Amino acid sequence: MKVEDLELPKQTHEIFNILARGHFISSNGTKEGMGRLYDILNDPQNFEKLQDYFSVLRYKIEKGNNYFYFSKLNEPPSITEKKLETFEKYIDIIDLFASLDNKITIGSRFRPSEIAEECNANVRLKQKLNKIPLYRSENFLNKIREICNMLARDSFLELEDEISETYKVLDAYTYLLDVINAITIFGQPQYSDNSENSNNENIDININPN
Amino acid sequence: MQISINDIISTLYYSREAIEYLFAKKDNISISQLKSEVNISEEMYQRMKSMEIIYEYENTVVLNDSVINMMEDILQIGESTPGIISEYVAEVRRYISFYQETNHYRFISPLKKYLRRLDKAITREIIKLQKSIDDTYKNESNYRIKLRRLEEYRDKRDTLINNIYSLQNVLSENRHTLSISGDAQLFQIIQTLKQTLLENLDYLIEIQTDITDYINKIQYQLDVYQKAQQLKELKDQGILNFSTNFHEVIEKLNPIRFNGHKSPRTKIAIDTLYTDIGQQLCQKIAEKYKVTQLRHRTTAGQLSFNINEKLLDHQILIDTQALVDKFLKQKEKDLFEFILHYKFPKQIGELSLEQKLSLFVEILIQYEKQLNFSYRLKYIEIMDENNQPKKIGYTIILPSKQKVKQTAES
Repeated sequence: MKVEDLELPKQTHEIFNILARGHFISSNGTKEGMGRLYDILNDPQNFEKLQDYFSVLRYKIEKGNNYFYFSKLNEPPSITEKKLETFEKYIDIIDLFASLDNKITIGSRFRPSEIAEECNANVRLKQKLNKIPLYRSENFLNKIREICNMLARDSFLELEDEISETYKVLDAYTYLLDVINAITIFGQPQYSDNSENSNNENIDININPN
Repeated sequence: MQISINDIISTLYYSREAIEYLFAKKDNISISQLKSEVNISEEMYQRMKSMEIIYEYENTVVLNDSVINMMEDILQIGESTPGIISEYVAEVRRYISFYQETNHYRFISPLKKYLRRLDKAITREIIKLQKSIDDTYKNESNYRIKLRRLEEYRDKRDTLINNIYSLQNVLSENRHTLSISGDAQLFQIIQTLKQTLLENLDYLIEIQTDITDYINKIQYQLDVYQKAQQLKELKDQGILNFSTNFHEVIEKLNPIRFNGHKSPRTKIAIDTLYTDIGQQLCQKIAEKYKVTQLRHRTTAGQLSFNINEKLLDHQILIDTQALVDKFLKQKEKDLFEFILHYKFPKQIGELSLEQKLSLFVEILIQYEKQLNFSYRLKYIEIMDENNQPKKIGYTIILPSKQKVKQTAES
């Protein structure tokens, strides 16, 4: 069977290029026509064809909540020191984001300078930021920039406007949140479904302060 | 002042640039700012003011709300205002009761007007509501405001549903009254409206799902944030691995990025790199890795000599060894002088100065070890092709000392 007979979408090459780099394709991404690539993958017919096609290369397309990524077929995930380190760092970063007054959520836009300013004015945030192991340590802004670079490199954020240095939170960020949610703290009830935990009385975040 | 529709439309038309500017910048615009940003005459400005298209407040200028509303309605943007629907429903109810009481046809006409308006307005309000919900979820950066606004849209959506239900009730309760009027147009309007209402109810249910989904997503993110803070505390205490299943969860994560899978590398044949495509690839790689010393292999330009000259060069190359041997045997002349005055075979003919120069350079490079470089310059004046005197400088090359010595011994 020839490749032409498979009637693959013409963006197959672009999709492969992004996914094979280990990046996510998010529905709200704008760079490299990502939104369009997401729509193509989200079409069940295309998804099936591409899944078959990439399976020859032993890749599997995984579908998440408004995002796609590649996993390897017949190769169970491994545990490495680096993998653990990466996610420990992500816990630090998400904890920092969680402590911001203006929480970063999917689709929100922010500038590193805004977070740096907030960190500068808040001792607790300052301490948290200082504890995150980062290479640049000159000032808060550079540290936040490094965090944003890391998240953008892993395709959880997108540098939407280079001039104003505005980042957009992509749907793939949900993946990180899902990982956090999947971790069970022993001795605590686990909420697996996100719709069920909306009535959690212990939430310290007041939706309606009035 | 007596104002006609024509006046309003022509004023709107001639001041369209200013209206467009004020519509886009709803915030405080000073009078001077407006006049400097858009091309508007003082007369036209005063006219807009007198017709109340714009208002002035303490040196700022704003567009009349009616103009803003009109444009927002046409463009189907802006905030959804379900209140307008309930007003129209109340009007419908009122005119039906008037008609019931009097059976007079003059109440049918405004009734039809409001029913038509409802048909358009309900659809428009729903589209505006959907746009506002999407926009709030995607663009509102403050999560508290985002949640509050989504809750408000849920209320608006409920109001719209209630309005639709009450309109459906009004129409079904007064079905008999409306049918005896015998107005075919009214019947047609009601049928269309009923169909619109049903479709819009479906749409509103979808909107409800969207709002709930968005709110749940935000709430989920906030819940996870709370959990991340707990995990961080455990991590700081050094008990993350003992008090949670962190290790197991991370182990199961399968994205290739976190499992050290590099993107597939295709090895390129060396021959391919010599092709034009290969050259383009090399250039891309050079740009990526900031390699500045990449030799550009570009397409050769047009040959600057004809094929006979090429043959001549070739022949000279063959004779070089003999020429050098002859040079090494003599003692009077340096290399350049030797070449300059050398009598080449007839087959080659007379060489031009440039050809002699290139031959000189060629010998220097090729027989460097056998020649004696004096590192001194000599200047001579010669006549070029146009019989113009030309002064040229060259380095003096003598037969090598060893050779000289050998020659002397022999």
